[in-house]
Amino acid sequence: MKAGVLCAALSSIPLVAAAAPESYTFDPHHTFIHFGVDHNDFSTIWGRFDKSSGKFTIDRQAKTGAVEISVETASLSTGDGVRGDRPRSRDEHLRSVDFFNAAEFPRMVYKASAVKFSGEVPVEVSGQLTLLGVTRPVVLTVDRWRCAAHPVTKRGICGGNAVGSLLRSDFGMKWGIPATGDEVKIRVTFEALKD
Amino acid sequence: MKRTTLCAIFAALPFAATAQSESYTIDPIHSFPHFGIEHLGLTLIWGRFDRMSGKFTLDRAGKKAGVEVAIESASISTGDNEKGNRPRTRDEHLRSADFFNVAEFPRMTYRSTSVKFAGDNPAEIEGQLTLLGVTRPVALKLERFNCREHPFAKRPACGGSATGSFKRSDFGMKFGIPGIADEVRLMVNFEAIKDQ
Repeated sequence: MKAGVLCAALSSIPLVAAAAPESYTFDPHHTFIHFGVDHNDFSTIWGRFDKSSGKFTIDRQAKTGAVEISVETASLSTGDGVRGDRPRSRDEHLRSVDFFNAAEFPRMVYKASAVKFSGEVPVEVSGQLTLLGVTRPVVLTVDRWRCAAHPVTKRGICGGNAVGSLLRSDFGMKWGIPATGDEVKIRVTFEALKD
Repeated sequence: MKRTTLCAIFAALPFAATAQSESYTIDPIHSFPHFGIEHLGLTLIWGRFDRMSGKFTLDRAGKKAGVEVAIESASISTGDNEKGNRPRTRDEHLRSADFFNVAEFPRMTYRSTSVKFAGDNPAEIEGQLTLLGVTRPVALKLERFNCREHPFAKRPACGGSATGSFKRSDFGMKFGIPGIADEVRLMVNFEAIKDQ
């Protein structure tokens, strides 16, 4: 058999699936970090960070993944952003040194490289959050995950929901505890486009 | 007193306001209606209205309650409010005639028609939502309701959380269905201080 034909025959045999890492970038208009804090045992006040950016990589064959997301602390929004005749609004207070100290720490970063899978679906992400310059572990449970082709652009898109919680005092944010809760519930709603 | 006079007095009392009825005013900086809408079947996009005002009445002995709130539709906030190089942000689009048409309908209202109790606490609310000038029933379930003395106001206060859902198309808001879902999930967190 001529070498060329042999080559062609061999190249048509499918190889065993090798590691197949994929990289996705979070869509900033459809990705938000929400946080909830108990207020005076009356209700949970929810807030959101409007500006974040990041990426994740996922390899469904090797069952590995990594995430990095950077959040602008000044972009917090809890629905009370207009002071009226008060000295400050809640959002202004949260940006101050009493809470996020956005002037000195303009960014919080979450980095994770330990991902647990259930089949090909990521279900738990273990990483580190750096907030107010302090780094502590935070685990997120991915309770919703789906990948599809974007109906218009046909690009790969994965979206879902991840939840977790942390104690803000672990990061040195102690103002107002316990009337304003120490425990912070986290909910990340996300969409990410394949690079 | 003549029977007819007594009847006239009772008939004049507003619904749910009884002899033991207490009136509470919603604290606008600690009360927010949040809504969640599925996007492309991938994730739930949550938004909120920043300005809600209103009152509720509570009569624990008589197991009666009522609530009435008004929400400024232009106060919608979903976290996307900087255009960049796009013609408009999502929040601007939501304020437009495609969705909330805030220029024509600056206010949405919710008025309860009946409240069921579980023990001493209100548990389920039947009421009417008026949105885009259309009024339809929407039920809310109280997931949390707690009353105690407010630590700063030094007056009784109640707070909690209520959930529910409705189809926006029932109110004529059809843009984007189904990629932007018809069903709207509600989570209303509230605090209210007893009136003097």
